[in-house]
Amino acid sequence: MKNSMTAQQLVKTFTKNEKKNKKTDINAVDGISLSVSAGEIVGILGANGAGKTTLLRMMSKLMNPTSGTVQIKINDEEITDTIEIKRHIGYLSNNTKLYGRFSTRELLQMLAAVYGLEKAQADQKIASICQILSMEEFIDNRIEKLSTGQTQRASISRCLIHDPQIYIFDEPTLGLDILSSAAIIEFMKRERDAGKIILYSTHYMEEAEFLCDRLVLLNHGKIISEGTPESLKEYTGEKSMRDVFSRLVIREGAANEH
Amino acid sequence: MNIKMIKILLKKELLDVFRDKKTVIMMLVIPVILYPAIFIGALQVSAAISSRMEEQIYKIAADTKNDDAFYSRLLLENNAADDSCHLEITDANDITDYKTALENGDIDAFITGTKKDGKMCYDIYYLSSEANSEHAKGIILEIFDEYSKELTEEKLEALGLDSHAILAPVSYEEQDTASSEQSLGSILGSILPFMLVISLLMGTMYPAIDTTAGERERGTLETMLTLPVTNRELIVSKFLTVASIGIISAFLNILSMSGIAFYMYQIVDMQIDLQKFDATKFLPAILVGILAVLAFSLLISAVTMCVTSFARSYKEANNYITPLMLVIMLTGYIGFIPNVELTPTMAMAPVANICLLIKNMLVFKIDYMTVAIVLLSNIAYAVFAILFLSRIYDSESILFGDAKSGFQLFEKRSNLKKGGVPTMSDVWLVIALTIVLIIYAGSMLQLKFGLAGVLGTQIILLSVPLFLVVYTKKDIVQTYGFEKTGVSGYIGGIFLAVGMFLLNIVLSNWAAELFPESAANVTDTFSELMDGNFIFVLFVIAAAPTVCEEMLFRGLIFHSMKARYRVSTAMVCTAVIFGIYHMSLVKLPATSLLGFILCYAVWMTDSIYPAMMMHFINNALSVILSMYGDKFANTVFYKDELMLSDILLLAGAGLICLTIGSVVLTKTRKSEPRNRTGL
Repeated sequence: MKNSMTAQQLVKTFTKNEKKNKKTDINAVDGISLSVSAGEIVGILGANGAGKTTLLRMMSKLMNPTSGTVQIKINDEEITDTIEIKRHIGYLSNNTKLYGRFSTRELLQMLAAVYGLEKAQADQKIASICQILSMEEFIDNRIEKLSTGQTQRASISRCLIHDPQIYIFDEPTLGLDILSSAAIIEFMKRERDAGKIILYSTHYMEEAEFLCDRLVLLNHGKIISEGTPESLKEYTGEKSMRDVFSRLVIREGAANEH
Repeated sequence: MNIKMIKILLKKELLDVFRDKKTVIMMLVIPVILYPAIFIGALQVSAAISSRMEEQIYKIAADTKNDDAFYSRLLLENNAADDSCHLEITDANDITDYKTALENGDIDAFITGTKKDGKMCYDIYYLSSEANSEHAKGIILEIFDEYSKELTEEKLEALGLDSHAILAPVSYEEQDTASSEQSLGSILGSILPFMLVISLLMGTMYPAIDTTAGERERGTLETMLTLPVTNRELIVSKFLTVASIGIISAFLNILSMSGIAFYMYQIVDMQIDLQKFDATKFLPAILVGILAVLAFSLLISAVTMCVTSFARSYKEANNYITPLMLVIMLTGYIGFIPNVELTPTMAMAPVANICLLIKNMLVFKIDYMTVAIVLLSNIAYAVFAILFLSRIYDSESILFGDAKSGFQLFEKRSNLKKGGVPTMSDVWLVIALTIVLIIYAGSMLQLKFGLAGVLGTQIILLSVPLFLVVYTKKDIVQTYGFEKTGVSGYIGGIFLAVGMFLLNIVLSNWAAELFPESAANVTDTFSELMDGNFIFVLFVIAAAPTVCEEMLFRGLIFHSMKARYRVSTAMVCTAVIFGIYHMSLVKLPATSLLGFILCYAVWMTDSIYPAMMMHFINNALSVILSMYGDKFANTVFYKDELMLSDILLLAGAGLICLTIGSVVLTKTRKSEPRNRTGL
């Protein structure tokens, strides 16, 4: 495995204005270490506010950690330049919206230029992405006119244009119908099999169980448990991931109280 | 920064903005269609109204009991083949109550006359709230004027006098020497700058909001951040987008407005002789105007973007930008005020300088030095704003929602922690605010109150920053450097001050040779101020700056910068800001050097007091030289032209003093190691 992504002791502190005149520092991410290697899908599970989005933003270099490091290796070579790292990452979240006044094709052409692709190369790439995500019928429509599922497919296509080695997806299937989310899950599997690094977060336990090679459970900015879906089930003695999750989070909460 | 990347991003931003209907409407529809439509419409309506007024028949009732001469006169006028007024004369005897009749519109005016002392006195009753009645009164007055003139002539002739010679003993005619270009220029000069400011604001407002707050509201900003693009590339491309849209809309507006102005000028008064009219005379004005629009649009775009960047949504951005628009529009109004001169200080006043420059160019008052100052200061402000903007875009709290500006000034006071020195954002804001205040309020105070005004300026200089320090609960001792220091610190300071003063004589002399006119100007204003009681002059020119300027520059600015930048950077920045603050290109090298040496003294002694003493020595020496210069006549201190030997003497002595001073300070510093905080 030549490519890898490793986070060490990541901490992100936000200062929040709680009530009037009172400021408190909150560690949204509190000392997380995590490693993902090529050909692996790692799922981040956690309740709302567990720190998933902040963690993924730091992993994709959108945000700087308060302390700790993220190390990206491509072909065994560590990349340190933030701009260069971004060339290897396809990042998608609910906050990465698309330019509504553009068509998907125009958007992809613009992005191809940003990533430094030649025109002919870009057109070829766009044609193949269009086919993979079956976007033929709407690729020339303005994005603001697309349905939710179509928009999400357009979003995925955005992450594909530069053929990144690492995908970081924050709740990519949120609010999608079965068909659309199935297409996205298929896509992630295919990319994993092609040897890409995939780190993604979700609320859907069944989806995570079925898709991920490894799961990381977050609560209050800390990892409370991690392992393969099977090992987690074994560890808790529960049969479904949903119960595994509830049990671990509740146990963590109880442990904190003591 | 990658030019190719900026091109790609610029193309994307432009496409995005041009597909926004609001921008296109603001940019194209308003100047190209709405303005001409409104103006021509208004012109048509007023033409229609005035022609209807002329066609109107005015009913006038005249009381003929005492006098039928005028009555018959009225009839005569009316019957004369004159189309300009249509009167219908009735006998006032038919009317019982003229007031009601006027109010009911039965008549438009009522005339009654009585004989007093052998002379006819007439009362004309009319209703000023009715347009027709008002107009009828006007017609009657005209008739009266003509009538009384004729009577005078008749009487004079009857006495056998030459009525013409008596009534018009001299004859005169106006001869306007302004060329038709000048008169058109002066009309355009008062309207155009204001229109330009408004149109640039209108043109840049929507794209500025759209590319900053709009992008954040639509959630595409985070998408941009995933791309391999640096913040600066992002900012520059957004800025270029806003600026180019501003420029396009400004030019469309100007073309449209000039067209309308030309058209109106021709209709209203036919003074323009098209054959004689030479449009090429406007060429310098047009060229400078184009440069001015370019420079100004950079400034406006950068400033509006700075404001809108703090907003999270369109609505919020609109709220933020409204006060800015009001301030800029009010300042743009300066073009309408007659006799405001574009002085070198004014040339650095944002917004006002552009308005006055364009106004001056249009009436052919051209001074290329001033043009350069105006253009450069606009560009400098814009660069400053862009640097600030990239700071904003570097902060995560601004990018990811939870906007915090880094300005502690805008935070609730109770949320702030005590101690430390002000943040750089606050310091820059205070510098900008103080400079603008000095330019506008300071120069006004100085013009009006002379020396006392200078004192007022110093108080502004002291109080604005002090407010910041107190409000943000900063450590006053640390921020201003109010620390004790040994005697040797002062001794070194004296040497530095003397050295600095000697070098400044050389530098000023040099600048005076390069820019003789500006230098003469500076000397003039200076000697005007010196005209007064020695103690008072010394107090205002030497003592007040010792406290006020030192506390701002060597205190607040230097200490805040020193806490964040390298010491050398802090010294150079403080020195240059200090130089710029003096608002004179001629004095810039000398004042910057002064600023630098003062910073050096603060840095070496860890205290502001030696620098205060040095500043006092320097200014006091200048005061003495200018007030009692005659006593030093023909010494190296007071010569119109320095010989090479003089220069060598002054510079040599100056450098020796500086060296001694710095050696003393270095020794002091080594012998008294102190806990150096914030370095």
